[in-house]
Amino acid sequence: MMSLDFLLLAILLYIAAAVTSLLCYKQESLAIKLTGGIGALAGLAGIAASLPILLSGEVIVKQLYSPFIFSDFIIRLDGLSAFMLMVISLLVVATAIYSISYMKEYLGKGAWAMGFFMNSFIASMVVLVVCDNAFYFIVFFEMMSLASYFLVLCEQSEKAVKAGLQYFLMAHAGSVLIMIAFYILYRETGSLNFADFANAELTSFQASSVFLLAFFGFGAKAGIITLHGWLPQAHPAAPSHASAMMSGVMVKIGVFGIIKVSIDFLGAEIAWWGYLVLAFGCVSSVLGVLYALAEHDIKRLLAYHTVENVGIILIGVGIAMIGMSNEMPVLAALGMLGALYHLLNHAVFKGLLFLGAGSVIYRIHTKDMDKMGGLAKLMPLTAFAFLIGTLAISALPPLNGFVSEWFIYQSLLTMSKEGGMAMKVAAPIAVVMLAITGALACMCFVKVFGVCFTGAARSKQATKATEVPMTMVFGTASLAILCIVLGVGAPWIAPVISGVASALVDTQTITVTQGIALIPSEPSQAILSTPIIAITLLALLIVPMAILSFFKGPKMPSRNAGDPWACGYVYEEKMSVSAGGFTQPLRSMFAPLYTMRKILDPAPWLKKFLQALTTGASLLEPQIDNKIISPLVRFVKWIGKSIQWFQYGDFRAYCLYIVVALLVLLFVPFNLGVN
Amino acid sequence: MQGLEMPSPEWIALAVVQALIMIGLAPLATGFSRVLRAKMHSRKGPGILQDYRDIRKLLRRQDIRPNPSGIIFKVMPMILMSSILLVAMALPTVTNSSPFPIAGDVITDIYLFAIFRFFFALSGLDSGSVYAGVGSGRELTLGVLVEPILMLSIFTMALTAGTFDLGYISTYMATESWSVPGAVLLAGAACAFAVFIEMGKLPFDCAEAEQELQEGPITEYSGSGLAMVKLALGLKQLVVAQLFLAIFVPFGKAVELTLGALSVAAVILFIKLFVVFLIAGVIENSVARTRFLKTHHLTWVGFGIAVLGFVFYLIGL
Repeated sequence: MMSLDFLLLAILLYIAAAVTSLLCYKQESLAIKLTGGIGALAGLAGIAASLPILLSGEVIVKQLYSPFIFSDFIIRLDGLSAFMLMVISLLVVATAIYSISYMKEYLGKGAWAMGFFMNSFIASMVVLVVCDNAFYFIVFFEMMSLASYFLVLCEQSEKAVKAGLQYFLMAHAGSVLIMIAFYILYRETGSLNFADFANAELTSFQASSVFLLAFFGFGAKAGIITLHGWLPQAHPAAPSHASAMMSGVMVKIGVFGIIKVSIDFLGAEIAWWGYLVLAFGCVSSVLGVLYALAEHDIKRLLAYHTVENVGIILIGVGIAMIGMSNEMPVLAALGMLGALYHLLNHAVFKGLLFLGAGSVIYRIHTKDMDKMGGLAKLMPLTAFAFLIGTLAISALPPLNGFVSEWFIYQSLLTMSKEGGMAMKVAAPIAVVMLAITGALACMCFVKVFGVCFTGAARSKQATKATEVPMTMVFGTASLAILCIVLGVGAPWIAPVISGVASALVDTQTITVTQGIALIPSEPSQAILSTPIIAITLLALLIVPMAILSFFKGPKMPSRNAGDPWACGYVYEEKMSVSAGGFTQPLRSMFAPLYTMRKILDPAPWLKKFLQALTTGASLLEPQIDNKIISPLVRFVKWIGKSIQWFQYGDFRAYCLYIVVALLVLLFVPFNLGVN
Repeated sequence: MQGLEMPSPEWIALAVVQALIMIGLAPLATGFSRVLRAKMHSRKGPGILQDYRDIRKLLRRQDIRPNPSGIIFKVMPMILMSSILLVAMALPTVTNSSPFPIAGDVITDIYLFAIFRFFFALSGLDSGSVYAGVGSGRELTLGVLVEPILMLSIFTMALTAGTFDLGYISTYMATESWSVPGAVLLAGAACAFAVFIEMGKLPFDCAEAEQELQEGPITEYSGSGLAMVKLALGLKQLVVAQLFLAIFVPFGKAVELTLGALSVAAVILFIKLFVVFLIAGVIENSVARTRFLKTHHLTWVGFGIAVLGFVFYLIGL
């Protein structure tokens, strides 16, 4: 029960932070400090609430007062919701402390309002993951979308408003689908409680409809490919700590919804669902990273990487669903473990990268990577944390991104090895997709780190940057440490997530560790010990050092001198390769996939639809005017004119009117039957 | 199959020793390639030990870095060495099972190569040189093109052996009758193709002329830093060649951990490596370099072979 108290405390603190921010609208710098501090405390309370549940595996259900008779307000803290709560809270602690300095950028631009929206956004997400009733789920889902919509708008530029509109449209198109899905479930069960949804007896047609509606509805929020158009517009427009939360956590609410509906409610009964999720996951991951490569706006690039990582998570979810529908519990649990682990990891490293990008923008006020360069020397702490983030997202061992992808690879081998023909064919396709994604991500982040932080400065602002304030360094550094802990500490963390995953796919907890090594349930398939790999990699550095010191000779110490070779010309900073030039060969090789981007994006259609709607409305409006309102106005005018002769201004005539009126009034009560 | 476990001290010792010997032999391998190239060009060329002399000389020279470069440029050679040494430790070179199975998972190894590539390319950008920068981009692009071939061919092998562990795949190939020989041969061809590209040979790479864009990332290295990078690149050639040998030609390995058995296996391995480098050298010197932007036409062929290998596996040929 302690967990519930902490949960309540966390929510109250978020509300307090939001309200404080509103109240201090006149002293913005105070508002920033208070909301940041209270927000971080709320995050800590959230961690305290989720940790015991994750470790013990118990489930707490509590019914609270609901003002509406048709729906109960039920709080349910089970493995999955505690896990999501943990992901949210971890990121909140870092972003809240980060925001204390970062928000100074927005002083005088409505920083107090942003504090309000930010905290109500987080609060609604927290309640969303623990509430167990469809009505409240929708309410908080909408709250979350609305609050984040205002965060996207905060820059108040034309671009931001456009991005906000597109986001708003996509979010609501998604929630309509979700509402229909819930309505079908409600009609069949007669209840809005999720617990009853889970026991719904649906025909396979109904179940498939619910699944498809929920998949595309939540998919719009998760940013799966074809529904991703809003991500690269909304993320750059929002302030960096808000984009960290949106990309790190909010899109995961979409994944959470997909897991909740297709696995928790529907039990992933039908096999093709899993293949559909897997296919969308594969395509999202490859295309997401491919489009990211073509970007030179750092935040747009990171936003596309969110599409990629959601794809990787969905590959895991797809495997879990295929495992469930084919009654392969180990496969299901392994896939789900990979998915959940990657969900956590992505929240951490993407949060880190957005905060790091925010730090750079805070100093040099541009999102264009081609205007950065050489920042590692001027902002060493931020650069180092950012480097760890790039290594983690490129899935390099022994960091966290690698561990989750490793589990997904292992589950794919299990799937191909033990499954039927469809699984045998699907798994290698996913493996190849994952491999391409990995290589592309590696390239993309070499580009990001290389162009932003290393080499020569590419603009004047970039030469003047200095290290950001300590609170911002704390934000990035804490997440960087978390990247290392989640990677190197995997043998201790994986069993906990494995417990959650196994409970979710309704099987006994699978063994994923052996001593300090990770195993994919079956120890003969593979073994991985991230702590030992980390130690060995460090220890092996001795070899080159030994060679260097053995052949030292009488040479001078190493030094930096001279310009890079420029083929005989005088070197200029501008000569170093640009973000676009770096990926040019690849873009030409994969040109067809880039043209697909325009074809696949539904945003233009949605926009066209909206345009048609507004033009329709504007066409309709004069019609109403001409046919109804204008005749009415003319009629009234005509009456006015025709009774004008009543008042030609004679004093005596008015007296007569009064007398007549009195007489009439004298008779009226009598006629109405009043004595 | 038995479960994989943490290696015992003897095995770790073997792993370390084999990695160190590989460093020692790396300049010999590259030197051999140079001799072969000279022979095929009908010129006298350097002796087989020339790369040892080069590296020794470079090691004693001052390390000068260009002005824009930073810490990444400085530490890159160390990281290259460390990551590739870890793969070297995990390879089942003279024994059937991997001496260091903790890193002997194929997926782990492929991602350890990614560490190598990541820092190699990043150092090119860090140097601030335009040639190094473009070279980095090309290096990574090539990685993107090779990765699917390597992954799919190895995945086919993992499926036939039922495990991702290099040692077990190697043992399966050496001791059991192949259930799908057609698939194995095709996967082997695809993997050989990928490994050939990874070794940095023509038609994809021109290792001889350092100012070529392909060798770009190391354009700005000098002195001891350059020596370490050269050593690491040579080591990588040896390691990827042995990765291929471990999976596809795992014959003549030591059955037990005795000095005699190990040295016999080492001699056999040496012959196998000689053949691999000979073939690679002959191919390299009998082709012209491709236009970089057309590279993917060639790699598609490799990927096609890998896919065919997998299809053969599916239908059980």
